Amino acid sequence: MTEPRASAGAGRRSIADTMQSTERVLREGGRDLLVQVYATLRSLKLYPIENEQVQRALDELSAAANALLAIEDELEIRVAGEFIFVNATRLRLDLDNFASFSHVLTTLRQSGIGVMRVDSGAERREWQVFISLLLTFAAREAAPNKLFELQQKLVQGGVARIVVEPPVESDEDLEDEEKAKEVAKRTYERTVAVTKEVVNSVRAGRSASVKKVKRAVQGIVDQVLKNEVSVMGLTTIRDYDEYTFVHSVNVTIFSVLIGKRLGLTKLQLYDLGLAALFHDVGKSRVPLEVLNKVGSLDDEEWRIMQAHPWLGVLTLFGLRGYGEIPYRSMISAYEHHMKLDLTGYPKSIRPRELSVYSKIIAVADAFDAATSRRAYQTQPLQPAEVLQEMWENPRRGQDPVLVKAFINLTGIYPVGTCVILDSYEVAIVHGPNPDPAQMNRPLVRIVVDSEGLGLGDGFVANLADTNDGGTFARSIIKVTDPDRYGIKPSDYFV
Amino acid sequence: MRFVRDRSVTIPITDDRLEAQAVVESLMQVLLKGLRAIQLYLPNNPVYQRAVANIRTAFEPVWEHTTELTLQVAETDLIWEGTAVLEQDTKSESVAWILFKDGIRAVTLLPGAEDEEIVRFLQVIQQAKTLERESTDDLLTLLWEQDFQTIRYDYVELGMDEVPQLERSEEQPEVKPADVRQEVEEEQPTETPKGIVTVDDFDATLYFLDEEEIDYLRREIEREYKQDLKDNVLTMLFDLLELQTYSTVRAELLSIIENFVPYLLAVGDFHSVAYILKENHVILERARELLPEHRQLLEDFPAKLSEPQSLGQLLQALDEAAVHPTEDELGELFRELRPSALETVLAWLPKLTNERVRSLLYASARRLAQAHPEHLAKSLEGDDEGVLLETVGLVKELKLPPVVPALGKLLADAHVTVRRGVVDALGAIGTPGAMKQLEQALEDGDRDVRIATVRVFGTQGYRQALNGITAAVTGRKLRDADLTEKTAFFEAYGMLVGVQGLPTLIPMLGVRGVFRRKEDPETRACAAMAIGKIGTPEARDALERAAKDKDPLVRNAVNRAMQESAR
Repeated sequence: MTEPRASAGAGRRSIADTMQSTERVLREGGRDLLVQVYATLRSLKLYPIENEQVQRALDELSAAANALLAIEDELEIRVAGEFIFVNATRLRLDLDNFASFSHVLTTLRQSGIGVMRVDSGAERREWQVFISLLLTFAAREAAPNKLFELQQKLVQGGVARIVVEPPVESDEDLEDEEKAKEVAKRTYERTVAVTKEVVNSVRAGRSASVKKVKRAVQGIVDQVLKNEVSVMGLTTIRDYDEYTFVHSVNVTIFSVLIGKRLGLTKLQLYDLGLAALFHDVGKSRVPLEVLNKVGSLDDEEWRIMQAHPWLGVLTLFGLRGYGEIPYRSMISAYEHHMKLDLTGYPKSIRPRELSVYSKIIAVADAFDAATSRRAYQTQPLQPAEVLQEMWENPRRGQDPVLVKAFINLTGIYPVGTCVILDSYEVAIVHGPNPDPAQMNRPLVRIVVDSEGLGLGDGFVANLADTNDGGTFARSIIKVTDPDRYGIKPSDYFV
Repeated sequence: MRFVRDRSVTIPITDDRLEAQAVVESLMQVLLKGLRAIQLYLPNNPVYQRAVANIRTAFEPVWEHTTELTLQVAETDLIWEGTAVLEQDTKSESVAWILFKDGIRAVTLLPGAEDEEIVRFLQVIQQAKTLERESTDDLLTLLWEQDFQTIRYDYVELGMDEVPQLERSEEQPEVKPADVRQEVEEEQPTETPKGIVTVDDFDATLYFLDEEEIDYLRREIEREYKQDLKDNVLTMLFDLLELQTYSTVRAELLSIIENFVPYLLAVGDFHSVAYILKENHVILERARELLPEHRQLLEDFPAKLSEPQSLGQLLQALDEAAVHPTEDELGELFRELRPSALETVLAWLPKLTNERVRSLLYASARRLAQAHPEHLAKSLEGDDEGVLLETVGLVKELKLPPVVPALGKLLADAHVTVRRGVVDALGAIGTPGAMKQLEQALEDGDRDVRIATVRVFGTQGYRQALNGITAAVTGRKLRDADLTEKTAFFEAYGMLVGVQGLPTLIPMLGVRGVFRRKEDPETRACAAMAIGKIGTPEARDALERAAKDKDPLVRNAVNRAMQESAR
């Protein structure tokens, strides 16, 4: 052991303090920097370089970068998945900045940039050249040497202190991605199992383990926060177990995903997730012969079915083991079939204003229910059609802002949608296009080639990619029923 | 340079591993002491604060050796780099076991943990130690809520081994590519088909929430966390109770509400209790097809409030609450109190510090006492001086004859302060029965009680007491009494006896002849006051004759008596 220095304690303390405060400064300063990059990109897109607004934006961008460089010798802005890291500190998305972050993320990706380094002493002029080039290159068609050209232009423009590099995806990252998928899958399996246990316990009049429910919801929140892509893919699962269980878990995932977009805190996401997992718990008191009836329900059966929201409230009061009464879950169970004007069911007499969590859950519920095969709905609708209907039909009574936020999350072709391409290929939507301007051109996994040959796992293609002639290489021409091709979309996410 | 601050690496910076191990072992012992301090002391206690300071100090040498400290968790040991650094064989005392039994298999501490998070971590461990078996939490759920940034933990999910795994579906029979191709070709549309979605179908700004929409969502989230969840749930319960005519559903709802009331009282949620009481009335008025037994249950709900324990909780909470319900809500609550609540209310009235709560509760007590004096009499049987004083005060205000016997009993054996109050209360009641009970107080051992009593008799004109008062005035009983008591007795005598008393009083005043032995000045002054109370012309004449008495005390008394007599 080395001889302790006389001032070792003080030294260590100051290092630890510095580390923490540096991280905070990076998080806050990094957020300011990204917002300024966004503001400069936007004003430069609208106005000529001499414009006062552009000049002011450049001043503020340069100042934001210098503020960070005053405490760190170098800035590394790294794009990883859906996140942006500044010197290994992940920037947090919230309601105030997610649109700006998303735009910057897309612009960097479109220019082929994975890492951007800014050295101490970067001048305002260098920022001006860099942002101008970024705008130009982001708008260009995809090309293998795009980044190389950008790097050359930067050098020619005398930009020495801002350097861009391609995305880094090491073997370790790939391994991490696989691990993340596995963890998401296990979380999903466990949550379905816990939901099943609760519902079956209620049916049997036994007490349910609330600890397990808590853990399951906490697990979903963790996965949504760390591993959004994998967990969203799992919502394509439809027939892993009884509809009610899988549906409850899917609604939980969608709700927490929306909540994350809205900038809810981790504990708020938990509240929302718990409410979502319990939203249909009242169905545990609906007779199985009604719940699982094949074919349409008669009036009396519908009446029983429509009792499930308030039966959920009674069920939650009866769930033994709850230290605290789960009021928020009761409210969402009760309200999730009420429309904005309080029509729908159950009927309300006393004044009521729908909880935002109920409205979020209603959107998630409507989407998952309509896209699922159920006992009384043998032919599910295609996800894209459901979204369109939710967006366009006010009689559904859903909150239009939340529907918009949901489409913002899923893209107009939600994950798992089976599509026919103009190349005669069949594909499954893998994820929304990171470029908001290309919302109708998602990332797809091509699973059947143009000759009709199945491709196994297939490969992921970006429908925004263009060929040499500048036209899109592939376009969606039709949403189709995956059953026609013996395709099960969830297979590609498990 | 690649930034890897969040990567999990341990960098040995010294070869002397044994010393490093000793430092970690020492930290473990300090953490154990810290855990004990957290268990035994409050954060403002010096022992607690010293323990926290020691923990911070103990981390310093650890960071000389490593950039992070990962401890593997075995059943009863914490292991660092293959060596047990904390061994506690008794499971009930073992920190490792607390972690292990809930599934934690490794804990990693990062620099900065010592600043604040390690204390919260120890607090959570302490909390987990005391969790009941049926608690809805375990160590994992508690740790998750803390959202630590400098403490990581790895765990296994216990009891989830049997969960079926998500698998890909079974291989589908091979379809000829040509058939697939044909199917795809058949799907190629000749015109815009159903199912094709274009950007034009959606609002062009769909991907961006505008400022107004963001503001709206922010307000919605704020509203979510500002709302009164219990109120919301109660509203739905009463909607259901009103609309659902199934008797089994109503029975379940009523049972929920019935069980809810004591719970709400226990947590001091009087606002919700007031709401339940209000809605009870609404349901009784509006609900269709209400079964008689359900109606009875609804009508009986308020009785729950009057049970001593519930009401005591409610009143305590009301008195201590930072935010109080409105007067209407309080009125709603107290209006529903049953007579049986009176005793508890009176017991609480002297303890309440909040004047608004007190005055509203007093109004409720007044209403109950007036309607049910028998319950008030019961309160007079206790021995709590505060309660007795409060009750006696209420009796005095309400002038309730039925409680006279109970008051009489108090005059015999209660504390002097209570006896004084009882005299006032009996005087206020003023019935012959009350006066009769009061007679015993003329002989009370306390001067103030006697004075108050004799004054009551005088003002009430209670002539049955005249004999006793005459005996005191003319006898030796008042010889040692002070001037105030003597005056009270003489004045009462004057008021009760009237003109027949002048032959006794005038000689006492000493205006007849110079040779007659005069009474002492105090007695003469008291006699003057008594004559003044008689107020007849003869009495005034006697006073005028003594108006120039040489004794100033007598002269003053005569003058005062004359003034009173003239009114």
